Amino acid sequence: MEQHQIEHIFLLHKQEEKRKARLVFLCQIGLLAIFIALWETAARLQWVDVLLFSSPSRIWVMFLEKLSDLSLFTHTGITVMETVVGFLLGTIFGTLIATAIWWSPFLSRVLEPYLIIANSMPKVALGPLFIVGLGPGIISIIATTLSVSIIITTLVIYSSFREVNPQYTKVMQTFGATKQQIFRKVILPATTPTIVSTLKVNVGLSWVGVIVGEFLVAQKGLGYLIIYGFQVFNFTLVLMSLFVIAIVAAVMYQGVSYLEKRLTSQFK
Amino acid sequence: MITHTSSPSKIELRHVTHLYVTSRNAFMAVKDISLTVKEGEFISLVGPSGCGKTTLLSLIAGLEKATRGNVLLDGEEVSGTSRKVGYMLQHDYLFGWRTIEENIYIGLEVQGTRSKETEEYALHLLEDMDLLSFRNSFPQQLSGGMRQRVALVRTLACKPDILLLDEPFSALDHQTKLKLEDLIIETLRRHKKTAVLVTHDLQEAVAMGDRVFVLDRTPGTIRREIEIPEVLRRLLPFGTRQQDGFTTLYNQVWREMEGTSDGATSN
Repeated sequence: MEQHQIEHIFLLHKQEEKRKARLVFLCQIGLLAIFIALWETAARLQWVDVLLFSSPSRIWVMFLEKLSDLSLFTHTGITVMETVVGFLLGTIFGTLIATAIWWSPFLSRVLEPYLIIANSMPKVALGPLFIVGLGPGIISIIATTLSVSIIITTLVIYSSFREVNPQYTKVMQTFGATKQQIFRKVILPATTPTIVSTLKVNVGLSWVGVIVGEFLVAQKGLGYLIIYGFQVFNFTLVLMSLFVIAIVAAVMYQGVSYLEKRLTSQFK
Repeated sequence: MITHTSSPSKIELRHVTHLYVTSRNAFMAVKDISLTVKEGEFISLVGPSGCGKTTLLSLIAGLEKATRGNVLLDGEEVSGTSRKVGYMLQHDYLFGWRTIEENIYIGLEVQGTRSKETEEYALHLLEDMDLLSFRNSFPQQLSGGMRQRVALVRTLACKPDILLLDEPFSALDHQTKLKLEDLIIETLRRHKKTAVLVTHDLQEAVAMGDRVFVLDRTPGTIRREIEIPEVLRRLLPFGTRQQDGFTTLYNQVWREMEGTSDGATSN
């Protein structure tokens, strides 16, 4: 077969791929448009109670309003800050604890039942304790966020440390490596993909922690807007806050995905 | 004139017995093994699975401490891993997140001897293996035989006197294996290294070794020691395989293997 024929076939294949990608995107947009249109129609024709379900146009108007008086920025900023701090602390402390129990099998055996109980516990139930102990403020919210993600981070990362092929460790031992060298040069690089993918899970968990924390104590933040909107029966406010959360959370998730690609490129 | 002041054996095992203790039982892997290896010598260990071949390598490497008896290198008792010993495993276990070049420096890094000079030596070895052009590749991009050669470079880069080979060719195809056997023997002879090979392949054991030890199992003991005659020793493994005497020796090792408790009970 001639070279130009091969290239032609390749070109056709690429065009086909592009066409499919465009079709998928069109359907995605279409689905959203249909959903919004149905919702708006249902609201206008009073198929559903507007007081409870609001409508896209009302949400949009409120969104612009909150945007122009800048209050939306304050609420979003605080919530994002709390999420990011909780997320980072959960990941860092989770990794540190995982490292400690990897280091000392004795410690891991001692802590095992505590970790299992802590993991099966609904962490948000600890919220009231944090508020009493740390005061009704940002610290409590971050503590709630941390408590949601830290245990699962610890367990996932610890088990990934243990799943590193022991033969890699043996290679290092034959060179006379210390435990620290084994950890730095084998365990940590070998588990980087797992650690980064737990970050993705943690983004979602951190949002749970922050929103629940804000439900309980906050005077500011998107979680506060939701609970406030609920209390004054302003569901347009509730839905608008959900809309903002969806967008910001998706952006954060994409950020972590990007990080994942960068950090794990050499594994593929 | 007979002298008794020859240098101490490179490797010496004196009445070595080793147990593995788990929460379920204590298992005797090898029992009362004594053997010596002279400097520059190549010995092969063969035997049915469970005869403690790998245990012997671990003991020599200092990865395990013998329950009873002594393991000596150059007349000194082994306590922990030593820089004198290089260990090659069945698979290459190259680190996928490092380039080939970074992989061959890992031993130097661990031992704190990575420098311009040692790096050059490692690259020189890589060149000997015809792999210098792959220095910036990742292990996943190389074939099995190439990767095993990189693993050899990684081991040799630390300049061990003694090389322990734990079935290093078993995962390779036949042709690659024959080539690599010659390459390793050549390299070892050039650098006057002492080597212990553990293998399932009896032909390989005879072709590469100066002496072949047939082990019996449960617990591992030495059943028989077979000397390879001088004429066969001088050749490279591929050449040895072509010699008349080779088949006779191979058959002798084969019969010994048949006589091990594994062979006797598997009828």
